[in-house]
Amino acid sequence: MRLYIRIFLALFAVCLLGGCGFKDIDKRFFVVALGIDQSDNEKKPYRLTLQLAVPSPKIEPGASKTQIESIDSQSIAEGVRMLKAYVDKELDFGHCKVFLIGEKLARTDYQNLLQWMSRRRDIQSVADIAIGKPDAESLLQVQPLSERYPGNTLFLSFGADGTESSYTYVESVSDFSRRASEKGLDPLMPVIYKDNKESFIINRTALLNKKRVKLVLSSTESQLFNQLANDFTKSSMHGMFEGMDLVVAITAIHSNFRIGKQNGEDTITMNIKMRVVFEEAPKGLYDEQWRPIEISLNQEYAKSCIALLKKIQKANVDPIGFGLRYRANHPGKDVWKEWKSIYPNIAFKVNADIRIEGTGLIK
Amino acid sequence: MNERIRLLFAEAVDIKLEVLHNSEMTIEIAYIAPLCEENKINDFIIVPFTKDFYPFESQLKTNPDYRKVDDVAKWQDLMLRGNVLIEADGIIYSFEASRIISIENPQTQVESAIQGPQLALSEDLNISLNLIRSMYPSADLSVEEHTIGSLSKTPVLALYDQRRVDPTVLDSVRTKLMTINVEMLHAAGELEKLLVGKRKHLFPTILITERPDRITKALSKGKIIILLKGNMFAIILPATFFDFMHAMEDDYDAYWMTRFLIFLRYTSIVLTITLPALYISVVSYNPELFRVQLAFSIAGSRSAVPYPSFIEVFIMLFMIETLIEASIRLPRYIGSTATTVGGLILGQAAQQAGLVSSIMIIVTSVVAISNFVIPVNSLSFAIRFLKYPLIGISIFFGISGVAVGLFVYIAYLCNLRSFGKPYMRIFGKLRPLEGDVGQVKIK
Repeated sequence: MRLYIRIFLALFAVCLLGGCGFKDIDKRFFVVALGIDQSDNEKKPYRLTLQLAVPSPKIEPGASKTQIESIDSQSIAEGVRMLKAYVDKELDFGHCKVFLIGEKLARTDYQNLLQWMSRRRDIQSVADIAIGKPDAESLLQVQPLSERYPGNTLFLSFGADGTESSYTYVESVSDFSRRASEKGLDPLMPVIYKDNKESFIINRTALLNKKRVKLVLSSTESQLFNQLANDFTKSSMHGMFEGMDLVVAITAIHSNFRIGKQNGEDTITMNIKMRVVFEEAPKGLYDEQWRPIEISLNQEYAKSCIALLKKIQKANVDPIGFGLRYRANHPGKDVWKEWKSIYPNIAFKVNADIRIEGTGLIK
Repeated sequence: MNERIRLLFAEAVDIKLEVLHNSEMTIEIAYIAPLCEENKINDFIIVPFTKDFYPFESQLKTNPDYRKVDDVAKWQDLMLRGNVLIEADGIIYSFEASRIISIENPQTQVESAIQGPQLALSEDLNISLNLIRSMYPSADLSVEEHTIGSLSKTPVLALYDQRRVDPTVLDSVRTKLMTINVEMLHAAGELEKLLVGKRKHLFPTILITERPDRITKALSKGKIIILLKGNMFAIILPATFFDFMHAMEDDYDAYWMTRFLIFLRYTSIVLTITLPALYISVVSYNPELFRVQLAFSIAGSRSAVPYPSFIEVFIMLFMIETLIEASIRLPRYIGSTATTVGGLILGQAAQQAGLVSSIMIIVTSVVAISNFVIPVNSLSFAIRFLKYPLIGISIFFGISGVAVGLFVYIAYLCNLRSFGKPYMRIFGKLRPLEGDVGQVKIK
C-alpha cells in the first residue's frame, strides 16, 4: 500500500509539470498575417510586419483587435526570433493564413522568402500568399470596419468561405512553391491594394518568373485569366452586338489547349466552351435569333484571349503551364531547351464556343 | 423428531415444533414460520390431517409433493429453505411450503425499451424461469441447479440450449461454478466477479441483464444464462464487446434508424473517451487544429483561467463525476435537484468566476451525456474510467500520445477473452443445420 501511495504522489507531482511543448492556447500569440518588405537599410534588408491577434471571447463586427509589430532584420528567421523579445507570449504561425510580400521585394527576389516559408514547420501550406502594394506594412495596418475577429477580412477575401470574386486569383503557399520550382509552370500572385477607406481591393494579378515579378495584369485581364486558367464560373463577360451593349454571366466554362504544328507553325490551340445567361441586354432580345449574337461574342472573346496570351508570352512567363505540357508530351533530354526557343515565337489560336442558355427573363 | 430438531437449531422463537393428533394417528411437524406460507401448511397438512376424509398416511405415500427424507443431515437445510418436516410412523417427509417475498411482475427499469417486453426478470427463480421458458419453448433448454455460498446457500440456475451451446464454454462454466468458494452471494455483479476471476479488469466480460428478450436471444445464440435467487438480474456469458453496445431495440425498430443509432453510439463512445484528452492536447500543443474563430474564442475565454488546461479539465471532470455519483445514490426525489443545482448553477458560475473556460463546460457535458448513450450499464461504467489514462498521456505527449493510448486500448480489447471466446470479435450467425447434432453430454 505504501508503494501505491508513493507512486501516486510521484505521478501527482509529475502532473504539475507540463512538458516543453506544452503551451496553453492563451499563452500563444497567433500571427494572423505576416508582411515582408524590403527596407531601406542595406545591412538589414528585410522588414517584417506581424499582425498579431488579440483574442477576445466576444466575436462581433468591429470587435477585432490586433497588434502590429515590425522589425528590420538581416534575415527573415532571425527577424522572427528577434520579435519574440518584443511580445509577451509565444509566437504561433499555425493560424497565419496570409503572407503579404511587399511590391519592392517581389520585384527584386522572392526566393529567400519562399525557402523560409517552406522550411518552417508551423507555417501551413494552405496559407495564401499575395503581393501588397505599395508595401505590406501599410496594408496590415488597415483595420476594416466590419472585421469580426483579427485577420478575418483577409482570410475571407481569399478562401471560398466569403466572397468569391472573379477578379481575385487565390494562390496558396504550396502551389506557389511548386510553381516556383517547376520548369514550364510559372508562379503568379494576386496584388492587394489599399483604398483610402478601411478596406482592401484585390483585383489584379502579378505574373512572376522564378525570381521576380514580370508583369501585372489589369483587372479585366485578371478576370479573363481566371476564366482561362481556373474555369472560374462566377464571372461575367462584356460584348457588343450591332452596337448594343451586352453583358453575359458565365454559368459553366471549360477550357483545354493543345500544342502542335499547324501550317508548319508551332501553335497553341485553346478551346473554350461556355454557357452563358444575359445579365444586361436590350429589350426584345428574346425574340431574336441568338446564333449571330453567339458568333460575334465568340469572335470578340477569342480576340481578347489572344491579346492576353500574347501579352503573357511577351513577358516570357508561363503561368498556364504550356511548357509543362510540352515537356510531358515530348520525350528527350533537350525538350526544355527546345521549348524555350519555341515559346517566344509560338502562335495562338483560340476557338471560343459560347452557348446562350437564356435571357435571364421568362420573356 | 422434534427433540432432535431442537438440538440442531439455536434458540429461536420462530421455529415451530408441533404435535398433531387425530383419531387414527399422531404426527409431528416442524418448520420455520416466517419462511413458510401458513395457508399452504393449513391446506395441505393441518386441514386434511384433522378432517381425515382420506387416510393421511396413504396421502403422504401417494402425493409426490411429500418427499421422503432418509438423511438426517438434510433436515437443517430443508427447513432453512422453507420446507415443513413431517414425521409419521417414524418416517420423515418434507413438504415444500416456502414463501418468497419478491416484487410482483417487475417492470424493466435499468434497460428500458419502448417496444419489446416490458416485464423484467423476477427475484423469484420460478417466475423468472416461467418468463424464459414461455419465451423460449424449446425441448433443448437445459436447466442445471448449483448452490453457491457456504452461508447464504444461494440457489443458482444455469440455463442453456443443449444443442447450440459451446461444450468447452459450458465445461469451464461448470467447473467455475463448482469451485467458487465464498460465504455469501447476493448479487449478480458479485457472481460476475467470482466467475471472471481476475479482480482488476477494465472491461466487463460478462453481460448482466434484466431483459428476458435479451436472455432468450442469447440462448438461441448458444450462450449460457445464469440466474440467481433473490436477484432480478441474469448473467449472460460469454459476451463480446459488441453485445454491450447492442440495445434490444436495435432489433425492433426501423432499419436505417437503428443503424444510425448504432453509429451514434460508437461515435459517442469515442467522444466520451477522447474528448477531454483531445481538448488538452489541442489547446496546449496544436491549436492550429481549430478553425481560426474557435481558436480565438477559446483563447479569449481561457485568458481568465489561471491554471493550465489539464487542471481545468480535472476540476470540471471532478465536478461532473461527483454529480453523477451523487444523483445515483440520492433518493429519487432529491436526485433531480442535485443535478439542477450542480449542472446549471455550478457550471455557469465556474465559467463566470474564471475557473474554467466556456468551451470546457461544453466538453464536460458532451463527455457526460455521450457516456449515458451506452445501453448496458456495466460497460458505461467501465468507459467512464477510460478517459483518465488518456488525459494523463495527453498532458505529456499531446495528440500523438492520445493516438497511441487509443491504440493500446484497442490492443487490450483484442487481447481480452470472455470464457475463452475473443472479446473483440463479431460472431456471425449460427446456422441451425450445422448445430443439429446434439453436442453436449448431460452430466
